[in-house]
Amino acid sequence: MEQALERIVLVGKPNSGKSLLFNQLTGLRQKVANFPGVTVELKSGKFDSYELVDFPGTYSLEAISEDESIAIEQLHHAMQEINTKLILCNLDGTKLERSLVFALQVQTLAKKHNKSLVFTINMMDDLLRFGHDIDTEKMSAQLGSPIYAISAKSLYGMSEFTEALKTHMTHPDTAKIAASEEENQIQQDHMSLAKSIAAEHGIKPDIVLKKQNHLDSFLLNNILGGFSFLLIMLFLFQSIFTWAAPLMDAVESAVGWSGSMVVAYLPEGAFADFVNDAIFGGVGAFLVFVPQIMVLTLIIGILEDSGYLARAALICHKPLSLFGLSGRSFIPYLSGDACAIPAIMAARTIESPRKRLITMMTVPLMSCSARLPVYALLIAVFVPDTQYLGGWVNLQGLVFFLLYFGGIFTALVMSKVLNRMVDKRKQSDLPFILELPSYRWVNWKPLLYRTLNSAYQFIRGAAPIIFTVSLVIWVLGYFPSQGDLNSSYLAHLGQFIEPLFAPLGLDWRYALAILISFLAREVFVGVLGTLFSMDNADENIDGLAAQLQADGLTAASGIALMAFYVIALQCVATVASLKAETGKKRYSWGVYIAYGTLAYVVSVACYMLLS
Amino acid sequence: MTLWDLSKNASARVSGYSPAMHSSIQTRLQEMGFAIGAHIVCTKRSPFGGPLVILVQDCVYSLERSLAEGIEVKV
Repeated sequence: MEQALERIVLVGKPNSGKSLLFNQLTGLRQKVANFPGVTVELKSGKFDSYELVDFPGTYSLEAISEDESIAIEQLHHAMQEINTKLILCNLDGTKLERSLVFALQVQTLAKKHNKSLVFTINMMDDLLRFGHDIDTEKMSAQLGSPIYAISAKSLYGMSEFTEALKTHMTHPDTAKIAASEEENQIQQDHMSLAKSIAAEHGIKPDIVLKKQNHLDSFLLNNILGGFSFLLIMLFLFQSIFTWAAPLMDAVESAVGWSGSMVVAYLPEGAFADFVNDAIFGGVGAFLVFVPQIMVLTLIIGILEDSGYLARAALICHKPLSLFGLSGRSFIPYLSGDACAIPAIMAARTIESPRKRLITMMTVPLMSCSARLPVYALLIAVFVPDTQYLGGWVNLQGLVFFLLYFGGIFTALVMSKVLNRMVDKRKQSDLPFILELPSYRWVNWKPLLYRTLNSAYQFIRGAAPIIFTVSLVIWVLGYFPSQGDLNSSYLAHLGQFIEPLFAPLGLDWRYALAILISFLAREVFVGVLGTLFSMDNADENIDGLAAQLQADGLTAASGIALMAFYVIALQCVATVASLKAETGKKRYSWGVYIAYGTLAYVVSVACYMLLS
Repeated sequence: MTLWDLSKNASARVSGYSPAMHSSIQTRLQEMGFAIGAHIVCTKRSPFGGPLVILVQDCVYSLERSLAEGIEVKV
């Protein structure tokens, strides 16, 4: 059996440069352990021949939320373990007093468990720029643990520190917590000790905060700040649609090309059809979303690392709180316009478990890009290409906007409803208090790694479901008549559920397309194309639209269909993400069924009103 | 008066907490810097009753109304 590695536990206050230090010490290979239902993430990696575990940043060892208590419980657990040799506590040198409050709590805990401990004072590059140095020797004597002044960013002091860290690991006694001078003098509590040490060694806050306050006076200005917020969000929106588009096209043609290459080598028949339609068609259709998810992760990462995300949350907090949401719900909502899956992941940063749950459950109502082909098809069938105001306003564009707005509107209304429904005792609420971190330049290497990893996580999470589903659909659609969808098991199924869609004025072909699109909504167009005997309906939406028009689809049915697609959660991959993040089937399959039912009721109402 | 009553650029000292505030939240606020006697400056007020921005020693925080009303201050 492989012997468990000796372990270093890394802790520190949020925004203290801890993640970057972790990345510098371990390189980019790291494992992440998740706890379902909460946002607690324990990252671990290898430093030299040791395991380094990165604990979530926290202000205190006294938990105020379920997430924090799990993280702190894990820390207590790690302190007791025999493999844990050293506690590495990271301090933000520019915010010494705040970092010390938590650091001293950790030191007391480590002492209780007889563990060795070292402090790092991070962000020394910032301090040195202001001409401020720290007397680590004196401070170390005062605190009773070794202290290293470093910058994980500029690598100042890093080589000496890593060497020292190795020595401390081979001789843990070198970092045994000594009875500190201060402790001998008076039994001070942590807070006043932090204050006196910070007053002696720290930099004056107004020097450090000058740049930050200067930028904030612009970015948080009531008028200019609002304007720059809109510009930044417009930029985000543009990037996920305009810039991701060529990449998405590239993925699509790459999958199509490799599919045709593989199929060319296979003997004609059911197996070749299976490989072409189910594997390359089904799985390929979902790979198309990978570039969008990566671009989204990258841009959100830039906003987060630079410190702007906290400001965006502050700006959005008031309007969103009217619907029972947090300012931090804004980014998930915006991301939801591209794809619900990264949006659900982005909800992790929401401080209140209750608001986080509500955000995750309503994000799938935002009009994600998989709805675009469906909207485009229905608009092409029913909405004339009329221009108003000398070409400035286009009727089709206006309807597009209305559909988007319909999604946002439904999401906000649902938030309000869920806010009443979600049990207040079970899902605790936390008051909104947010540290506005200093503005910093982005560290590209870890961010690019995170971006790649988001693609990997998405594929790993969704691929098995998508594959199973496309396999089942393909079998039902292919047999018993060797590929003729019109007389397949699936068609029988469509005819069987036709009465259900009669109140919408739709026949079995639409019923079938809707049924299949409950797995992934974008297949609606392709299935209708097949049923109307059109190849490549996805690339020829206008052609299919003309066919649907000729077939006599009424405007009332069309509007009912649009309403249906705005509301229904037709994406199994989203359900899987919801389940992974909330840890409960009740919240994932529950919203799947609830939004499906709501979509049906609303669309029947639309049809009845209009016909 | 409470933290919420501070106007932009006004400074004050924390003098207490509302009895309605949960003790764990009180402790956290103290650990974050809002200890009794701490010097604070309000650096931003948002329109329509949005969160305010408070400078406490070496940190800058944004607090929503319900929380700010629970912190008592003296000018």
